[in-house]
Amino acid sequence: MSVHEKGLANLVEIAKNGVACETKTLGNYLWDDLPDENKWADCVHCGMCLEACPTYQETGEEQHSPRGRVYLIKAVAEGKINVNEAFSKPVFDCLDCRACETACPADVQVGGLIEEARGQIRQAMPLKGFSGMISKTALKGVFPHQNRLNMLGGFMRFYQKSGVQTVVRKTGMLNVMPTHLKDMESVLPKVGKPVLGRYPEIVPAEGETKQRVGILTGCVMDVMFSDVNEATIRVLTHNGFEVGMPKQQGCCGALHIHAGDRETGKMLAKQNIEAFKDYDKVLVNAAGCGSALQEYHELFRNDPEMLPLAKEFSAKVEDVSKFLYDTDFKRPKAEVKTKITYHDACHLAHGQGVRFEPRQLLKEIPGVEMVELPDADRCCGSAGIYNLTHPEMAGALLDRKIDDIPENIEMISMGNPGCMLQIAMGVKKHGRSEKVVHTIQLLDWAYEKDKEEASKQVKS
Amino acid sequence: MIKDVRNLFGKKRQRQKPDAVVQKLMDIVGENEVLYLKEDLISYECDGYTMSKGMPKAVVFVKSTKQVTDVVKCLNKEETPYIARGAGTGLSGGATPLGGEVLISLVKMKKMLHLDLENRKAVVEPGFINLKLTQSISDKGYYYAPDPSSQYTCTIGGNVAENSGGAHCLKYGVTTNHILGLEIVLPSGEVIELGEEGVPDRPGYDLLGLLTGSEGTLGIVTKITVKVLKNPEGKKTVLAYFDEIDDASKAVSEIIAAGIIPAALEMMDSIAIEGVESAAYPVGHPRDIAAFLLIEVDGIAAGIEDQIDEILTVCKNNNVREVKVAKDEAERGLWWANRKMGFGAMGAISPDYLVQDGVIPRTRLPEVLTKIAEISKKYELRIANIFHAGDGNLHPLILYDASIPGESERASKAGSECLKACADVGGSITGEHGVGIEKSAEMRFIFSDEEIAAQTDIRAVFNPKNLLNPGKLFPQPGRCAEVKKELVKA
Ligand SMILES: Cc1cc2nc3c(=O)[nH]c(=O)nc-3n(C[C@H](O)[C@H](O)[C@H](O)COP(=O)(O)OP(=O)(O)OC[C@H]3O[C@@H](n4cnc5c(N)ncnc54)[C@H](O)[C@@H]3O)c2cc1C
Ligand code: SF4
Ligand code: SF4
Repeated sequence: MSVHEKGLANLVEIAKNGVACETKTLGNYLWDDLPDENKWADCVHCGMCLEACPTYQETGEEQHSPRGRVYLIKAVAEGKINVNEAFSKPVFDCLDCRACETACPADVQVGGLIEEARGQIRQAMPLKGFSGMISKTALKGVFPHQNRLNMLGGFMRFYQKSGVQTVVRKTGMLNVMPTHLKDMESVLPKVGKPVLGRYPEIVPAEGETKQRVGILTGCVMDVMFSDVNEATIRVLTHNGFEVGMPKQQGCCGALHIHAGDRETGKMLAKQNIEAFKDYDKVLVNAAGCGSALQEYHELFRNDPEMLPLAKEFSAKVEDVSKFLYDTDFKRPKAEVKTKITYHDACHLAHGQGVRFEPRQLLKEIPGVEMVELPDADRCCGSAGIYNLTHPEMAGALLDRKIDDIPENIEMISMGNPGCMLQIAMGVKKHGRSEKVVHTIQLLDWAYEKDKEEASKQVKS
Repeated sequence: MIKDVRNLFGKKRQRQKPDAVVQKLMDIVGENEVLYLKEDLISYECDGYTMSKGMPKAVVFVKSTKQVTDVVKCLNKEETPYIARGAGTGLSGGATPLGGEVLISLVKMKKMLHLDLENRKAVVEPGFINLKLTQSISDKGYYYAPDPSSQYTCTIGGNVAENSGGAHCLKYGVTTNHILGLEIVLPSGEVIELGEEGVPDRPGYDLLGLLTGSEGTLGIVTKITVKVLKNPEGKKTVLAYFDEIDDASKAVSEIIAAGIIPAALEMMDSIAIEGVESAAYPVGHPRDIAAFLLIEVDGIAAGIEDQIDEILTVCKNNNVREVKVAKDEAERGLWWANRKMGFGAMGAISPDYLVQDGVIPRTRLPEVLTKIAEISKKYELRIANIFHAGDGNLHPLILYDASIPGESERASKAGSECLKACADVGGSITGEHGVGIEKSAEMRFIFSDEEIAAQTDIRAVFNPKNLLNPGKLFPQPGRCAEVKKELVKA
């Protein structure tokens, strides 16, 4: 019996005898992996989160606010409403940006709750027919398999594939998508070669080895932004770290978990937990992946065997900028004369609480002038694949983000590949010229300049 | 067989058709601006007060005064009751339906219409967020004074309806002291302007004062002219930890008696401290103190140091354990964030809370707190206290778990007794959160039948059919009898 059928069988049993068979249920949640009651119990309905939420700011509708979403999710558990389309919409329209979690005085884990509810929805209403097939191909058939992803070659083709999958998922969006994909295509970075497999599994430190660290090369990051991965390796080794990239690692699973496919998410989580078992530190340069890794234990809430392993793993995961700052990174000496601003990726600022460290890395590069971006931690609309599934909302948020960029800035720095692509697209669309960079890249350039100047000195 | 049940949920769900009234509303505001499906309405069942819930018939989003007028006229004709709603952060159920009302949401009317700093005023639509006003003029050196702790999300329209206060209202006054003019749609559909923008402050009745704080029962506010103030030249904030509540409250009285009017003078007791320290903005307050005072003075820079010295002396004379002045804006910001998150923070130590809003003479605090401690024991529910100590506005937060049968009822009774304790020492049942559904029965603690009838007579002048926010603010004949019985028993 598939999980979906199990839920249906439950419903039939309830209709017949008033009790469910086999799987535990909770109100109208009838499927495996039930949402966590404690998460909504924390919510006191105060509304402090409303204005932090980009979808509430745009719509003004309570059901599209964090408080409203939590209320709906609870209402299903209380049996007041069913798992159906009207419930699914607000739950899937959430950006998963976690701004509400920063705003919430009661520490309600809205993001985790939304992911759990999506898991129920996808089991109750599996994507069927053509859309289901495409979705399976992309989320199940492509992301989890690094080699297949690589085989897809250029990122453009890759993104078109994943794009197609999401286009058809929402009917009526076909006409919107092509222009959107065209916008995206136009800013695609020159596709390099993935570092995983190309680099040795262990890259030694420059000079004395301080510590061995593992890095998640990521799927999208490694295919689209392999230069960021290369920069990350150089920066870490320059700082005295031996960098390991276990070959068995895979996609972090964030996209699957956001889409409600928790089973694939769990499979990928197990794969990564195993891959990094010999490391005590796992560094990530993609905020979205970092957040997902740090929350693996949420996936195994009801799995006593995996839970401790997942908890142990999650505790090892850290954003690379925070790690470098905390380990007293080598201060670059050469000047990189540029004026920049910094965008807080949702999953770095709200998801991991990392705001100070990347800014500090940037500010400590001589010559870098940093101008704060107003509302820097408001979502740019990228939100994983949200910009593909909800182009209108994503577009509105992107426009606001671009409008906020201060005058006379040369570069916009950030710590997440999805945001890099989205903001690059916005810059282009608005006819602006700012360069979009990863925080680590700036540091890498500074070190490179240091080395150039050192070699000049040797020569002279 | 499985196939048959699939229709119960998922894609095959029949889309419920809008009824005639909903259809008419759609004709006025557009199809996408009306919610009427159960799933879309359920999150509108209550506001920040979760003890009573009711399903609205529909939610209508209006974008202009004209639309409000048309919607009101339509509902009048259909004899369908309706309620104005802002952000829904109200703490007395003001925006909560009793069942079947149409909610008129004003959150999409959120523009600033006019800013006139020379004359220190701003004109905003009712859905404008309180904090946004200060944020949008702070770079020019101005701010909007009323600062309810919910200012991150509550609307100025809601503030007018509730006559909201805030931590800094001790020195600067509550919302009504900052309203210069209002545009209001009356239940007849007529639009009136009061105050500056319309009729100037003439002899005769102070209608502006009457409308402010009327809890959305006299009309729907569609435009608001507010005062904005110049930022004070200087500002200092003090945090003082006390081992005894008595000492803390004596310090409060002595500060005021010394002729100092702090901008804010706040107190929190140990359970409240446990809450805020477990929540999003912990300061590191010692857990074993009885209470802390958060005191802020502002004004002309020259006088501030002297006032701070005097405050420190008063605290020391009253056995303060530790007292400190915020060293920079970051520290001051953290102390305030910690305080302003106080209510929400209860979520970190309790599944639900009921906040009460009594007013008492400052000097009676120790005695009222003793009474509240007794109530807490009697009902076996923990009660935290957050207190706008300067103006005697006490917020007992009754912690309970709605999922345990009987606990909500116990909490509600405990809340009512706390209000009784306040009324008994010559205080009042609400300082700033309004009466709404929650405290309508308790109005009898402070008003006689005649006094209540006089007020409902005034309501009838504005709202003759009682279609606008019915059943709020004044006791329902049925319920007050019940409460009376309970109190006689108690
Ligand atoms: C965590 C928290 C802290 C709070 N702190 C404070 C505080 O420090 N001080 C304080 O005073 N209050 C406080 N409150 C209560 C609440 O925030 C205020 O009452 C606020 O003014 C309500 O604004 P709103 O936009 O949410 O209004 P809503 O809750 O939507 O509505 C409140 C009432 O106003 C009416 N109303 C709304 N808009 C209009 C309009 N345009 N025209 C006519 N009637 C209207 C409604 O019908 C209802 O009766 C707090 C609430 C919370 C949850
Ligand atoms: S995660 Fe973002 S979009 Fe979703 S409810 Fe929270 S603030 Fe809103
Ligand atoms: S999620 Fe947090 S901020 Fe939002 S209503 Fe619930 S407790 Fe308040």
